[in-house]
Amino acid sequence: MIKRYHNILFLLVIIILGCEKDDICIEGSENTSRITIGFIDFENKSSKGINLNTIRGIGIDSIIEDFNGDKLKLPLMVNSNKTKYVFEYNETLDTLILHHQTIHKYLNRSCGYISNFIVKSDTEISKNHGWIKEVSIENDSIFNEEKTNILIHY
Amino acid sequence: MKKKQIFLFIISFIFSLNSIFSQTENTESDSLIKKDKLLNINKLRFGIDLSNPILSSSNDDNLSYEIVGDLQITDDLYLAGEYGSIDRYIEDENINFNSVGNYLKIGFDYNMFNNWVGMDNSIYVGLRYASSSFSNKVDSYTVRSGDAYFSNLVDNGYENITHNNLNGNWIEIVTGVKVETFKNIYLGISLRLNKLLSDTKPSNFDNLFIPGFNKVTDDNTWGSGFNYTLTYSIPFKKRK
Repeated sequence: MIKRYHNILFLLVIIILGCEKDDICIEGSENTSRITIGFIDFENKSSKGINLNTIRGIGIDSIIEDFNGDKLKLPLMVNSNKTKYVFEYNETLDTLILHHQTIHKYLNRSCGYISNFIVKSDTEISKNHGWIKEVSIENDSIFNEEKTNILIHY
Repeated sequence: MKKKQIFLFIISFIFSLNSIFSQTENTESDSLIKKDKLLNINKLRFGIDLSNPILSSSNDDNLSYEIVGDLQITDDLYLAGEYGSIDRYIEDENINFNSVGNYLKIGFDYNMFNNWVGMDNSIYVGLRYASSSFSNKVDSYTVRSGDAYFSNLVDNGYENITHNNLNGNWIEIVTGVKVETFKNIYLGISLRLNKLLSDTKPSNFDNLFIPGFNKVTDDNTWGSGFNYTLTYSIPFKKRK
């Protein structure tokens, strides 16, 4: 009789361990934001749409192709303080080096950590042919994707 | 009229109770064990949990163990406790971390099983107050991001730190069985329902695992556990 209890208890162990609640990260929870890059005319400082042939993150093989518009959203590296992108415009390449402070914030078990960024003023461009004339920082903190963070003058 | 019936009922009830009690007294005197004794410190049992060392060795962790013990204080009541040391690597949904700590659980078990003469098995319920002090070291994690262009894995720097000096307190409701398989050697299994009372929260992290309490889920203070024990009993009196 006691053996039977033993078996029932053993079964209960398996049931309890098997029926653990799954935590699911609710859609719409805070998320890691991308940087928003605006393109403006170097001469009259007004917003000017651009047609980039390719965008490539340094250290990454895959290429983002054909961008059209005046607001570009790009991810930053969450495990570095530096993100480098190569922009190809009219078959000329310029490299944008973004220096940023990377701050990880814990949400909960199911969502884990997200990352916020603060763009540092030593963000620079290394020119190959020089289609980028200047880079300026508009809003240095990236906690959402509403504002334009940096401007590329060309 | 009604009152009379109620009286009759109460009186008959008391009489029936009386007969039940006298019956139990009879069975006790049958087994020739001392009676009219409130305290019956009869045996001290101690042993180890078998599941923790097996789990820790199969997961390549450092040794985890739990020492268990109980002391019989009356016929059915036992003072019981567990002390454990846990070192476990936990691979969670987004975060991998290592949890190291010690815990102590103290309470009592109440045996509900009526043994035949010469047998010493138990089916029991119990209660524990438990306390754990521990540290959780974040080993690696995946940052939540809608974009997977760059790798979102972080395994160096940032929040890969050890959260020290954490502690948690909880109560456990225990049910279990102990079976005497050889003379004075018992195999036991118990299930525990844990209710977290308090814990110190680390900054920018949470207690996802508390040694002794086990997994802590979001917005929920309940947990569960079990152990599988091998215990040896030191009898204070010779058993018939």
